[in-house]
Amino acid sequence: MRTFEQKWTAWLDGQLSGSELTEFEASLPDKAAAEAEKANAKKLGALLKREIGAHGLANEEFFSHQLRERIARESARPSRERDGGVSTWWTIRRLLWTGTASLAVFLAFAIFVMHDKNPAEQSQYLTQILNARVDPVVSPNATISMFEAKEDRVTVLWTEGLQSLPADYAAK
Amino acid sequence: MARWLALFTAFIALIVSVAPELHGAETVWSGLVIAENVAQPQPIPPELTRIERPLKQLFGYNQFQVIGQSSKILKTGQEDWLAISKFFGLHVDARGETEAGYVLNLKLYKEKELLLETDTKLSRRSPLVIKGPQVGSGQLLLVLVVQ
Repeated sequence: MRTFEQKWTAWLDGQLSGSELTEFEASLPDKAAAEAEKANAKKLGALLKREIGAHGLANEEFFSHQLRERIARESARPSRERDGGVSTWWTIRRLLWTGTASLAVFLAFAIFVMHDKNPAEQSQYLTQILNARVDPVVSPNATISMFEAKEDRVTVLWTEGLQSLPADYAAK
Repeated sequence: MARWLALFTAFIALIVSVAPELHGAETVWSGLVIAENVAQPQPIPPELTRIERPLKQLFGYNQFQVIGQSSKILKTGQEDWLAISKFFGLHVDARGETEAGYVLNLKLYKEKELLLETDTKLSRRSPLVIKGPQVGSGQLLLVLVVQ
């Protein structure tokens, strides 16, 4: 059993027929006012259908356009980018090789620099005499000089004027 | 690849481990030498073979005889020792080690009398020769060599 509101809605929509339509229209207190209201409802329905329908279509087209553009962009990208992983030239193997090669180059340079440095610093590796002195009481006329025989890498402290000693002092 | 890397690492480790050992304990030979010109010279002592040519060229003698000597193994670079003959004494006082060799204080005594004193940096590669007093017809030389 439908209520009055349900019957009213069905009547507005034109869905009542037969005895049900006759009974409902007979139950209306002011049929003219009801007919006017039905006409207004129909107009409103048509208007809404037209406006909402047109708007919905525009959104659908916009979405389709967006979707087509995205598909086109995706298609234009290189395949490896679409795969998701960011590829790089530095693989593990290449990193290892590059590291090893860098160390080798460093060692080569280090050896070269050290080898090149030695001649310049050769004097540093000759024996150096920091100071020398003789007893002025025992040998008042003694003089001291020093030199390096670089060819033989021998350093010499040369004294002159030391007190001469008899041959006996050469004993072991 | 892994094999090469392991070899390379081993090579580097070897260099790093061996390098400090190159400056380990060393022996310093110190000698009192009488240089003379004689008709029939004796062969040069083995300790002086290394410097035979400069000894003969610089001092002009044809015979070199060791009258006193000492070989000292330096471990800390702070040792001291004596090389003595009947009348002479060479006191060597090591006062530290440098990259090139040892810092030494040398004192030459004639019996108890100090004749000569010097401070040197004795290099591993470079012997030191000190011309001492005239002794008879010859010459006293002091020689120090890192062996």
